[in-house]
Amino acid sequence: MRIVVDFLDGLTEYFGRMISWLALFMVLMSFTTVVLRYVYGISNVAMIETIVYAFAILLAGSAGWTLLHNEHVRVDIFYGAMSERNKALVDLFGAVFFMFPVLFIIWSKGLPYVSRSWKLRETSNEVAGLDYLYLLKTFILVFAVVLAVQGVSFVLRKVHILIHGTPMQTKFGPQREQA
Amino acid sequence: MFLNEYVELLMFVAAFGLILFGFPVAFTLAGVALAFAVIGDMVGIFQLRQLNFLPQRMFSVMSNEVLMAAPLFIFMGLMLEKSKVAEDLLLSMAKLFYKVRGGLAISVVMVGMLMAAATGIVGATVVTMGLIALPVMLRAGYDPKLATGVICASGTLGQVIPPSIVLVFLGDILTYANQQANLAAGNFAGKSVGVGDLFAGSLIPGLMLVGLYLCYVMLIAWWQPSAAPAIETDIEELQMSAAERRQLLINGLMAPVVLIVAVLGSILAGIATPTEAAGVGAVGATVLAGLRARPDQRTWLLLGGASAIALIVINGYFDLLVARTDFSGTEQVVLWVSYVLVGMVTIAVVMSVFFTWRQGVLTQVVHSTTRISGMIFAILVGASLFALTFRGLGGEETVHRFLNSLPGGLTGAMIFVMLMMFVMGFFLDFLEIIFIMVPIVGPVLIGMGADPVWLGVMIGINLQTSFLTPPFGFALFFLRGVAPPEVQTTQIYQGVIPFIGLQLLGLGLVAAFPILATGLPDYLFR
Repeated sequence: MRIVVDFLDGLTEYFGRMISWLALFMVLMSFTTVVLRYVYGISNVAMIETIVYAFAILLAGSAGWTLLHNEHVRVDIFYGAMSERNKALVDLFGAVFFMFPVLFIIWSKGLPYVSRSWKLRETSNEVAGLDYLYLLKTFILVFAVVLAVQGVSFVLRKVHILIHGTPMQTKFGPQREQA
Repeated sequence: MFLNEYVELLMFVAAFGLILFGFPVAFTLAGVALAFAVIGDMVGIFQLRQLNFLPQRMFSVMSNEVLMAAPLFIFMGLMLEKSKVAEDLLLSMAKLFYKVRGGLAISVVMVGMLMAAATGIVGATVVTMGLIALPVMLRAGYDPKLATGVICASGTLGQVIPPSIVLVFLGDILTYANQQANLAAGNFAGKSVGVGDLFAGSLIPGLMLVGLYLCYVMLIAWWQPSAAPAIETDIEELQMSAAERRQLLINGLMAPVVLIVAVLGSILAGIATPTEAAGVGAVGATVLAGLRARPDQRTWLLLGGASAIALIVINGYFDLLVARTDFSGTEQVVLWVSYVLVGMVTIAVVMSVFFTWRQGVLTQVVHSTTRISGMIFAILVGASLFALTFRGLGGEETVHRFLNSLPGGLTGAMIFVMLMMFVMGFFLDFLEIIFIMVPIVGPVLIGMGADPVWLGVMIGINLQTSFLTPPFGFALFFLRGVAPPEVQTTQIYQGVIPFIGLQLLGLGLVAAFPILATGLPDYLFR
């Protein structure tokens, strides 16, 4: 079980670290567009759209990584005071009855939406924009996939706590984040 | 049938009840909404087909150019925080003011106001100031009640003073709510509101709160000098030589202030969109962090900063649109100068990125920015699903009828909504509340005559007050987490009470005089 968890966590962790550099890209690109526009009056639609693309990928691709690091906001008035076992029960229940059904609905509603876009090879609404809108829309499905991947690892961890009473020792996770 | 009438309220109650168990809010919201959608579909009061809009809703968030400002502001705030530029700001303020009675408390308020620009996610400012300022204040003999109260209150200011992340989201939602209200009223020429309006609108009320805090602190210092003493004795953190003082004034105080003023000023002056200003702010924060990481390389970095200023000046006098070809001799020279200046700026930015990366700060910043973005997006998805189901079940009608049936018209409805949000503030974060509540009640309240900007400012101050209110206020938990053990929890509770009073006073003033919120945006943008 640990091997599976470490494998899934590894996927999430490295994918997360990779896309996180898009944040730097967004910062530098938006600064560049500002300089070009205000100093030289140049404004390039395709360039601005790369920022939008980076933003969309950053948003939709990172939710699984956030889950791995336990950074999805919880209300911990009661949760904080619960035993490890009860926390695991809440999480397991939530994952099975809330998270996975929601991911399923996003996938099943998203698939026709995205595949229509692929069929049309949908392009930007702007004249000089980027022509990969269908790729961008695909990230709606990526959102569901990254959460599902990490969701399986999440569930396995909680099952481990219910069986053994202690958290699983894993390679990645909130406690392993190096400073 | 009873169930048909009230099923959407039941959904609301169920979501709240289940959120309290502690499973991540985003998924609980979405899960509850989905469960009600499925049940509704089975009993025939909802059609699952209505959820077909979900992917489109998600995509409109992902491609929203206004919301793009959020990760950029988060990047800027985290950069200032993790590079310890914010810490320096606090210490330099303290060093400037500590000889004045109540000086440390005053500097906490001022830094809280400036850091407001940066963090925006509840807690970061409270934690930073709790870790740095609280121990110093306690050693200086401050009353723990005053010290903790002022830190909690100033730390949460970040939400109502622009440019804050929550105002970006609130502004975006209000834009939509306003359109809907105009549409429903058949008013196609109604005024539009944007994030810039909300930034401008919250500036005066935010500064007013700062003013109220400062008055209170000075009043206490004058009335009860033992609670907020001036410091004569040596406190090691506050010692420094004249050279250090100069250094600190420039690096620790001036630079961040200039940055924040520039970001805010360019938005308010209408020069830059919030997104553009956020990008500039994030780069500026990176250069400040680079400056702090490698003071030995400051020549290049400062040259870069100076070049940026020179570019702005040049831009004021010359028209360098490259599309033109008829450049005069002088203009040709200026054009070449501008290329050199842009080159200098680029060098400074690249160097800063490199220095902060080597130091490890940049990696931490992009990682945190990404995960916070993922957290926000998940909540947005959850709230979208919730809103779709709520609407589909006829919730909007119910809310509309209910708010209109309250006595006192708009006033009554506002009081009800404000109270409800205040209570929700005990359990939920700012973003979740505005994502759930504002799309539902916003169009109704605006339709009843509330000004969208005024509504946004009221919501902001109200929620900030909620985060201060014992026993559940977020700020109190955060401060408790970092306060030394000799500070009692009851002292923290007692400490914030005067500030809650000040908040309510501020809220009352904005409620009574909406022009405090609407005046500046009307003056600037119309």
